[in-house]
Amino acid sequence: MTGAAGRAPATSLPRILGPIRPRPRWVEARLLALAAVTLLVGSVSLRLGVDGQFGLFDARGLGIYLAALALAHVAQVLAGRRSDQVLLPVVGLLGGVSLLLMQRLPQGLVTLGEGESALGLGDVQLIWLVLAIVVITTLATVVRSDAWLRRYKYTWAAVGIALLLLTFVFGADVAGQRLTLRLGPISGQPSELLKVILVVFLAGYLSENRPLLIEQDTRLGPLKLPPLPYLAPMVAMWAIALGIVVIQRDLGAALLFYAVFLALTYAATGRLSLVVIGLVLFVAGSALMANLFEHVRDRIDIWIDPFADPLGAGYQIVQSLHAFARGGLLGTGLGEGLPMVGGRLPIPEVHTDFPLAALGEELGLVGVIAILGLYFVVIQRGLRIGASAADDFRAILATGLALVVGVQAFIIAAGNLKVLPLTGVTLPFVSYGGSSLLANAVVVGLLLAISDRGVEPPPAPSEATGWRRRLRRGSA
Amino acid sequence: MDPALLVIWIVRLLFLALLYLFLARVVGSLLRDLRAAAREPGASPGRLVVVESPAGEPEEGRSFDLDAITTLGRDVNNAIVIDDPFASSEHAVLTFRGRSWYVEDLGSTNGTFVNGRAVAAVSPLGFGDEMSIGQVRLRLERARTS
Repeated sequence: MTGAAGRAPATSLPRILGPIRPRPRWVEARLLALAAVTLLVGSVSLRLGVDGQFGLFDARGLGIYLAALALAHVAQVLAGRRSDQVLLPVVGLLGGVSLLLMQRLPQGLVTLGEGESALGLGDVQLIWLVLAIVVITTLATVVRSDAWLRRYKYTWAAVGIALLLLTFVFGADVAGQRLTLRLGPISGQPSELLKVILVVFLAGYLSENRPLLIEQDTRLGPLKLPPLPYLAPMVAMWAIALGIVVIQRDLGAALLFYAVFLALTYAATGRLSLVVIGLVLFVAGSALMANLFEHVRDRIDIWIDPFADPLGAGYQIVQSLHAFARGGLLGTGLGEGLPMVGGRLPIPEVHTDFPLAALGEELGLVGVIAILGLYFVVIQRGLRIGASAADDFRAILATGLALVVGVQAFIIAAGNLKVLPLTGVTLPFVSYGGSSLLANAVVVGLLLAISDRGVEPPPAPSEATGWRRRLRRGSA
Repeated sequence: MDPALLVIWIVRLLFLALLYLFLARVVGSLLRDLRAAAREPGASPGRLVVVESPAGEPEEGRSFDLDAITTLGRDVNNAIVIDDPFASSEHAVLTFRGRSWYVEDLGSTNGTFVNGRAVAAVSPLGFGDEMSIGQVRLRLERARTS
């Protein structure tokens, strides 16, 4: 790295064609094999539950999925990086459970194409899952430098805000929420991608201003605060979250963004006063929203007493609670839940908003705890990668990426169980949906990429200026 | 009991058992990873990596584990000796206070720079920041844990 100023751009490009030195990943291989066996047994159990025959439920679909996981493993072995070996199997198992669930739900929920060749829910989800594995593998093998993330943090922030504004203005209203953005044939939910951009921006901002945020004080009564200009992003974030609630009517995304923002601020500065202010702002904002807006008040009323209107507003929650109750401790078994009642789904939107209720019915409390345990593993890996990262940016980035998945899983799981008001976020890696799967794949891919130590040192934070640069040129 | 029903139950419980076996294996490997990290000697609060050093002392690429107070300069009594014509004999001192690192310039002739900006008195130094003393550039990193 001599004369770094001149050569830095060249070395920060992904070195795809570098020498290939394969490095075995035995832990990953063993865990993947165990995950594959688990999924095969699950598929047999599903077939037994559905038609009483002994065999795989959809051998082709599961085969394609397991082959994709195996290829992802081989690609990582060939790339020879020392990255995390636990994340891929854990996410692979969650995705596999998702595939079994989608194969088992009524296939007509989602269709792609027409006539004989039309693909049902299970096949469409399979396509998205395979694409997600491709995204994970590509990021994990190709991304050798994080300079493109940390250098352009304000560009990322601008992209994020532009996405948000585009959705505000051109978004299509689906079921009273303005979440979906359609560009020609492609439609997606930008808030899924936005959460990744938010974490990248916050990691850049907090790692750059961390010393200032920690050290300098403005006294406000008994509270010691960081300098006021540095509180501006906090207020801006609060305003953006409120904007999402008012214009997009998306309480879930607002809650997720705000929670991740607070958690990251605390992780980076260790100042409880910031968290206290954030929570006060949150309570004030919630009270304001609940008094001003009908849709927020409705959600809260349903949460407090869904049985007040069990066939109308409270229907989804009531049905979800019934599903968990039917499951009991060990569940009814895969494929033996109630798929249809009187020609319609017992839980509307089960494939996007209530996959945990379906799993709770078929796998029982024991199964749901195992699924939640898998999310804890994802969070632990992210925090561990953050704790051993060489510099602040990577540490905060890894922490944020792990939290964004963990908090989202918590918000929707708590919504399904009537612990929190129901909000329409997806269960990461399990819910049906391309935007959600791909955004979470980006999260896992980035975590894998930054878990590899020692490949690319963090770039110099800024260029040398003035006489120092002249001095270096003179000596070189 | 109906044998068909028995098979269904066995497969169903086997699936749940495998889920937990998978979790147990994962947790096992996480614990091994954490124990290995805990055994790692030297809970140093950070390290300095030499990014550029035209004079060859210290060598480029070398990394120093830092004590809570580390002095830098040309004099041999410094914890990190910087043999550079533009470095003063007692050039700067790094201190770890509370949760972060600080660099203080000890009245050197050519100054100490953090990310290209001159250090006036005491300046905070974040992990990943780059510091220059004379022509030598050093980067502060978290201590290796794995």
